[in-house]
Amino acid sequence: MSMVRLTIDGSEVEVPEGTTILKAAEKAGIRIPTLCYHKRLPPIESCNMCIVEIEGEKEPVNSCAAPVSNGLVVTTDSKALHEQRTANLKKILKHHPLDCPICDRAGECELQDIVYELGIEDVPYEPRKVKRDDTYSTSLIRYWADRCIMCGRCVTACRDIKQIGAIEIQGEEENARIVVDPDKCKSCGECLMVCPTGALTENLSRYKGRPWLVKRVQTTCTYCGCGCQFELNVLDNRVIGVTTDVDTGVNQGSLCVKGRFGYEFIGDESRLKKPLIKENGALREASWEEALDTVAEKFKAIRDQHGPDNIAGLTSAKCTNEENFLFQKFMRAVIGTNNVDHCARL
Amino acid sequence: MAESKKMYLNMGPHHPATHGVLRIELELEGETIVNATPRIGYLHRGIEKLAESRNYQQIIPLTDRLDYASASANNMGYCVTVEKLMGIEVPKRAQYLRVIMAELARIMGHHLWIGTHALDIGAMSVVFYAFRDREMIMDINEEISGYRLTPTFFRIGGVAHDATPKFIEMVRDFVKWFPKGLDGYHKLLTENKIWTTRTMDIGTISADEAVNYGFTGPSLRGSGVAYDLRKAFPYSSYDDFDFQIPVGDKGDVYDRYLVRMEEFSQSLKIIDQAIENLPEGPVNVENPWISNPDLDEVQKDISALIRRFMIHAKGFAAPEAEVYQAVEGAKGELGFYLVGDGSEHPYRLKIRSPCFYLASALPRLMVGHMVADAIAIIGSIDVVLGEIDR
Repeated sequence: MSMVRLTIDGSEVEVPEGTTILKAAEKAGIRIPTLCYHKRLPPIESCNMCIVEIEGEKEPVNSCAAPVSNGLVVTTDSKALHEQRTANLKKILKHHPLDCPICDRAGECELQDIVYELGIEDVPYEPRKVKRDDTYSTSLIRYWADRCIMCGRCVTACRDIKQIGAIEIQGEEENARIVVDPDKCKSCGECLMVCPTGALTENLSRYKGRPWLVKRVQTTCTYCGCGCQFELNVLDNRVIGVTTDVDTGVNQGSLCVKGRFGYEFIGDESRLKKPLIKENGALREASWEEALDTVAEKFKAIRDQHGPDNIAGLTSAKCTNEENFLFQKFMRAVIGTNNVDHCARL
Repeated sequence: MAESKKMYLNMGPHHPATHGVLRIELELEGETIVNATPRIGYLHRGIEKLAESRNYQQIIPLTDRLDYASASANNMGYCVTVEKLMGIEVPKRAQYLRVIMAELARIMGHHLWIGTHALDIGAMSVVFYAFRDREMIMDINEEISGYRLTPTFFRIGGVAHDATPKFIEMVRDFVKWFPKGLDGYHKLLTENKIWTTRTMDIGTISADEAVNYGFTGPSLRGSGVAYDLRKAFPYSSYDDFDFQIPVGDKGDVYDRYLVRMEEFSQSLKIIDQAIENLPEGPVNVENPWISNPDLDEVQKDISALIRRFMIHAKGFAAPEAEVYQAVEGAKGELGFYLVGDGSEHPYRLKIRSPCFYLASALPRLMVGHMVADAIAIIGSIDVVLGEIDR
C-alpha cells in the first residue's frame, strides 16, 4: 500500500493511502474533538465537530470522512474552527434537557465530555415545541427522546454492524426522532452501546449506580461458545450491568441480547443453592453428600442394568474449560459412553 | 551523699497542656529536665496520601484540618499553590476576601493560643475573654460559609461566593470591638508579676539557633528575626496593605507572647484596610474549566450544568509540573509542595508544617528548666498537632 505524507498542525505524518485525516491526526498524537464519530462505524458526519482547515480550501471539512492526500496541510485548531465548533455544539445543546443529575449516562457521557473539553458557556435551555414520542421497540432499553442529539450512531450501527436496519430517523429538524421497527429489532443493544448520551439507557438497572462507582470486571460471556468479551459492572458485589469495550475481544464491543441483558440470574434469589432430591413427587433439600450418593447409586444401577449408552451427558458453557474437560472424562471413563454434548455446540 | 536517680515522666498524649495529642518523654533529675523527647503521630490521618486520590477541589476541606485552629489560613496556602501550578490569576476582590478570612483565622488561632497558654500557666480568666472574642469570628465564619471552625470558604481560583452585607457588617463590628478586648488581655497578663516571672528567661533561643532549627512565624520573630512571608514574598495582594512585623529581642517565652499580642493588632489593621477597600468585581476566576457555575445558572443552562457536573464529579486536570508555595500561617511558614501529573489528582502533596520544626526544638528549649516551665514552653511555641501529624 502506498504511503501518503501530509502536515498536520506543523508536524509531518506518513500514513497509508485512504486513511482519514482524523486517523492520521490520531497517529500524530493530535486530538480532534469528535461527537458522532465512532471507531467501529463509517463516518456519519452529523455533528460537524471534527472540522479541520485544509490549506487552499475555503470551507472546513469533516476530518472523520476526508481522506488524506499527498502534501495536504491541515490545521486542526484555530479561532475560527473553535468558534464554528462552539456554534455547532450549542445548536445541539439548545434543547438538551437539564437531566445530568438523574441521567444514568452522566459521568461517561460523550456530550458532557465535549462540552467540558471545549469550555462551552451560556446555552440557556429551550424546551422543544413539540414533545417527541419516546416509545421504543424493546422494554430492555429506554429511549429518552429529549436527550437524543440525532447523531445517527444507532441507525448506522444497526444497519452496518448488525445488518438489521431496524432504526431510522423520521421527521425534520426539531421534530426529528429515531423510530425502531419492533418486527426487525432483535433487542441486541448495539444502539445502546454506541449511543454517546443518555438518550438510550439500559432499562434493567436504571438509577442503580453512577458509572464511576461501579467496578468493571472484564470477563467472557457464558452463554455460547463465541467467547465474547464484556465487562460486568459490579456495585456492592452485585452485577448491575454489562458494558463492552470496542478494542477488546473478537466481538469488538458487540453482543447479543443474552450477553448484554441476561445478567440478572447472577444475583437472583431463586437460584438453586442446595441440592434437592425428589421423593414421592416432592422436592426436599439435601446435603451434597447425600445427593451425590443418590446420583452415583442410580447411575450405577442404570449402567449395570441397561448398559452405559443409555446414559447421556449435556454440559454447560457456564462451567470453566477444566470443569467441562472433567465432565467428558467422567462420561467416557467412568460411565463408559460417548454420549457427551455441550450447549456451546448448538 | 545519696546518688541522684533519674526519673522518667511521660507527658501526654492525653494531657490538657500539650495542646492536642503531643507526647513528650521527660527525663528528670529532681524537678529539672535533663532530656526531653517529643513523640508525634497520634493524630496522623494520612492527609498527604488522601490528597493523592482526590481531585484538586476535594483536597481543600482536608487542609482545613491541618491547623484546625486557623483553618482559612491553610486554605489560603493550598489554593495559592494550586493556582501557581495552574497559572491562574485570582480576581482582586477574591484576594481581598481571602486576606480577610486568613487574618481572621490568624486571630482565631492566636485566641486559642492566648487562652490555653495562660490557662496552662494558671491565669484562668484569660481563656473566657479570648473565647468570647473568638466566638465573634466563629459567627463570621458561620455567616459566610455555614461552618464555624472549618469554613472551607476558599476555592481554586477564588472563593465560594461573594461576601454578604451582613458579613461585612460583622467584620466591621469585630474590628471596632476587638482593640478593647485585646486591651483586656494585656491588662490581665502583660505586667502581671506572676506571668512575667513564669515567662521571662524561659525557653530562650537565639536568632541564629532559631533559624537553624527551622523556626518560622511568631516563634522566629520572638527571637528578633523580622521574617514574615507576607512581606518577604507577598501573595494574595498582601503588598497592598500597610502593616508592621513585630519582633522580640531575647527569644524567650515572654517575647514570643509579646509578638503574638502585637500580631493581633497588626492582623486587625490588615482586616480593616481590606474590608474598607474591598474592590468590586467577580470573586472567582472566569475560566469555564475551573470555576464552578452558579447554582441559578445551573438550573437553566445545560452547559453550566454539565460543567458543574464535570468539575465536581471528575475535577479539572493540572499540568505536569511541580511547585512550592508557602504562606504565613498562624504558626509560621506553611508550605505546600505539589506535583501534578496531568491528571485530576496530584501526584504528590507534601506539606511543610511550621509546627513540626517548632516541636522538634522542644528538647533544646526545655533542657535545664523545671517541669512546670515545660508547660510554658509548649504553650509559647503554639503547636497544633493536626498539622504536625497531618
